[in-house]
Amino acid sequence: MISVSMKNISKSFGGNKVLKDVTFETHDGEIFGMLGPSGSGKTTIINILTKQLTADSGQCHVAVGSHEIGLMLEDDGLFSRLSCLDNLIVFEDIYKIQRKQTLEVLERVGLTDAKNTAVNQLSKGMRQRLVLARAVLHKPKVLFLDEPTSALDPMTARGIHKLIRDLRNGGSTIFLTTHNMEEATHLCDRVVMLHKGKIIEQGTPQDICHRYNATKNVLDLEYVFVQLTGGGLECTA
Amino acid sequence: MHSVKAIFKKQMKDTLKNMGVLIQFIIYPLVAFAMTVLMDTAAIPYEVLAVMPNMVNVMAAVFAGMALVSSAAAIIAEDKEKKSLRFLVMANVKPPAYLLGVGGTVFFVSIFTSVAFSFISGFGGVDFWIFLASMMSGVTASILLGATIGLLTKNQQSATAIAMPIAMVLGFGPMMAGFNDTIARVLHITYTQQLNVVSDYLTIGGVGAPLWHSFAIMWANVVVFGIVFVIVYAKKGMK
Repeated sequence: MISVSMKNISKSFGGNKVLKDVTFETHDGEIFGMLGPSGSGKTTIINILTKQLTADSGQCHVAVGSHEIGLMLEDDGLFSRLSCLDNLIVFEDIYKIQRKQTLEVLERVGLTDAKNTAVNQLSKGMRQRLVLARAVLHKPKVLFLDEPTSALDPMTARGIHKLIRDLRNGGSTIFLTTHNMEEATHLCDRVVMLHKGKIIEQGTPQDICHRYNATKNVLDLEYVFVQLTGGGLECTA
Repeated sequence: MHSVKAIFKKQMKDTLKNMGVLIQFIIYPLVAFAMTVLMDTAAIPYEVLAVMPNMVNVMAAVFAGMALVSSAAAIIAEDKEKKSLRFLVMANVKPPAYLLGVGGTVFFVSIFTSVAFSFISGFGGVDFWIFLASMMSGVTASILLGATIGLLTKNQQSATAIAMPIAMVLGFGPMMAGFNDTIARVLHITYTQQLNVVSDYLTIGGVGAPLWHSFAIMWANVVVFGIVFVIVYAKKGMK
């Protein structure tokens, strides 16, 4: 089943055409990556799909209602004076969900020990995890993640990757943008490559790499570090 | 309704942790109380005392006009600036529910401040309820005005820049009107001036224009600010 689709979408800001005839579709229960450098139009695509922007032409469709969408954007939008738990309670009240579920989500992102810590006391990585917790609190069927691991250390990023995979395994469709090619290679089931607002390639990371004969063995210090440390999400308030 | 409740709860917690906003609900009655206790009226010449405005009543008008306009504007502008509002709207919180939640919090906290002013002034019985009704009328007008400024501005800095001059005229106007008849005539149509008139009426004991006259002007202010708010909201929304 198709969960998100775009057909011939174009968008300009002033005279600057940021999206040119973009067409793609994602399927239920997959991690779909929108890959491209900064300024290639990734965030604009998310904004159009979540109805924060309207396209100049073309059609887009998200198969679920707005209450079944989770969102993680570059701006975290957290209430900085409130604690982690209080931030989630706002959305717990809006979505009318049980406190038990909120506490479970906090545990999954490794923030149980920091639940009473004010957001303005959190590290960047912890804030990202809280934003992810807010995005998945109501068990959305489609999750939009805009650069979910940008500016994070590899260990925190790895923890977030695990959470994203868990969500996919739970049946959610994950639509994420990233400029990190390695992240897309390891995390995404399928990717679309975007360059100057235009799709230049799409498929599974393996297929794309084989197509361009781009498979190689690389030294992986991150893997060694994870082997040495265990690599779980650590909470340091 | 549950969205309004969620925003109200969030805003109450946030207000209690936001010293910049919280202090505005505390400092005005504190200053009024200090003035009442510290002012040695015996040392003030009778001719000065006779024309001097009642400082508690003046501070109540300053609170209603100044603190609340800037507080309501700052709260909304902050949620816009930090993009928190965007996530609330994406979670299906309708803008009117958000505005009711925020406005309801400011209104609720203002009740405590108004009661504090009433105690300092020594209003009891019917006078207490008349004073509270006049304060809450002024609070309603200020919330609508502050919310309109919050809708019009992108961030806290620009909200403060617009709110402060308006709030100063509304807040300090009644004090200046106490010394100058021309200013009193000009400010006659403002809710803060009428708030001061009601307080003076209760303090002095039924002297001056009838109370309904002041309440009518205050509610005319509420209606006008309400219409302006609806027009601005229809044009700008919560963008």
